[in-house]
Amino acid sequence: MKIEIRNLKKRFNDNFVLKDISLTIEKNKSTIILGQSGCGKSVLIKTIYQLFSFDDGFILYDGKSEVDIDKFSMLFQYGALFDSLKISENIAFTDFINNKKNFNKKVISLMNDVGLDKSIFDKYPSEISGGMKKRVAFARALYKNPKVIFLDEPTTGLDPINSDKINELILKVISMRKITAVTITHDIKSAIKTGDHYYFIDKGIIQDKGDCNKILKTKNKVFKSFITGADIKQ
Amino acid sequence: MKFIENIGEVLISLFSNIGKFILFIQFFFKYLFGPKFYFKNNISYFISVFVSSIPIIALTGIFSGMVLALQSYTGFSRFSAESAIPNIVVLTLTRELGPVLTGLMISARVGSSIAAEIATMRVTEQIDALKTLNTNYYNYLVTPRVLSLTLALPIFVTLVDFIGVMGGYIVSVHRLGFNDNLYLLNTIDFLKLSDYLSGIFKAFAFGFIISIVSCYCGLFSDKGAFGVGSAATNAVVISSILILSSNYFLTELFF
Repeated sequence: MKIEIRNLKKRFNDNFVLKDISLTIEKNKSTIILGQSGCGKSVLIKTIYQLFSFDDGFILYDGKSEVDIDKFSMLFQYGALFDSLKISENIAFTDFINNKKNFNKKVISLMNDVGLDKSIFDKYPSEISGGMKKRVAFARALYKNPKVIFLDEPTTGLDPINSDKINELILKVISMRKITAVTITHDIKSAIKTGDHYYFIDKGIIQDKGDCNKILKTKNKVFKSFITGADIKQ
Repeated sequence: MKFIENIGEVLISLFSNIGKFILFIQFFFKYLFGPKFYFKNNISYFISVFVSSIPIIALTGIFSGMVLALQSYTGFSRFSAESAIPNIVVLTLTRELGPVLTGLMISARVGSSIAAEIATMRVTEQIDALKTLNTNYYNYLVTPRVLSLTLALPIFVTLVDFIGVMGGYIVSVHRLGFNDNLYLLNTIDFLKLSDYLSGIFKAFAFGFIISIVSCYCGLFSDKGAFGVGSAATNAVVISSILILSSNYFLTELFF
């Protein structure tokens, strides 16, 4: 699914978080949205997902303003797993709460896809590690065979080895399932590895954009300072 | 000038919250009678609330009844009206103390936990996750909690009434020297169905108040640990105030 966003504005009370955002998410490509904490990245993807309304501008999904959000899926920053449910029930949540019984096979297959051992099938989220939680959340996001997957800082809070594993997993899933991916991150290494195109947001507007393999060659000063961690005024 | 501005801000916030709360109740009823009803989820929540609240309910009932018998004796013995103690105990419990004390205890035990749980779900994006999984949080979170408490509270009040009367019986018979058969006979003879039903009606109302207020406080909490704490506190304080104030109007109704 191709998603076009034009002149998007979103505010909370008097504070404009998104001032004027225009970007295009290409079908079956991996788009990376970069920016500092608090710049509105999460608000942007939640607005695209229609979890938030917006104040001005428009969003077109394959050229239409309306979309069935069942085609979307999201991996939340800290997994957002339901504590009172087992891992298998979390992954097959919609089938589980609708009392459908035959989801075990699909759950095991997905757990296998995301590199999870069957032994955690009946465990609760509090009994597994942070890296495992991300994988479970990933499996849950893939359960409904989405056309677009939104990944909110998928490597946050993970050690370098687990981060690499999650990046590999994202690449594998995107290529295997041919889905459109939108990833929020401030991990440049992850962006280069998993993305096709990037957009850099600062102060509610797009400051820079391009191909992910050219991130390090950017000429935009603000983005450069973000990459190097240097203060732009110096 | 600043003082007036501050008052204005507080009033705007108060009325905006009242408006939001009324809309929240309206949405609850809209989704309650909608096509999605997670039966298993509703039943399992009812059972968990029921089982976890029984000990606190039993303790509330027994001690209320015992204290009531003792205090009534202190007063009534001054003008030789000790025989009215069984009547006072049963009437006070069924019409007043049973529903009010049960409501207050359940608001502290269950209401705070509902608000804290939902607020934590909000902070950890589980509410957003529900939306992305095509699940309406009114159906999945609010309905089971409101239905469970609204239906469970009358049962709790019945238990408190019964255990409370037994508490009064134990103290009256074993401490104050009443005749056991006479005490029970006086209790049963004096109690009217309307006394019991007025308490039960209050229980339905209090169960609804506790659950809907607690869900609202959880869903519209501020973020972070402070937000979760505030949600739990607000749920208990607001529910308790509403229980005590609505109790007056409900009593007027059955006066």
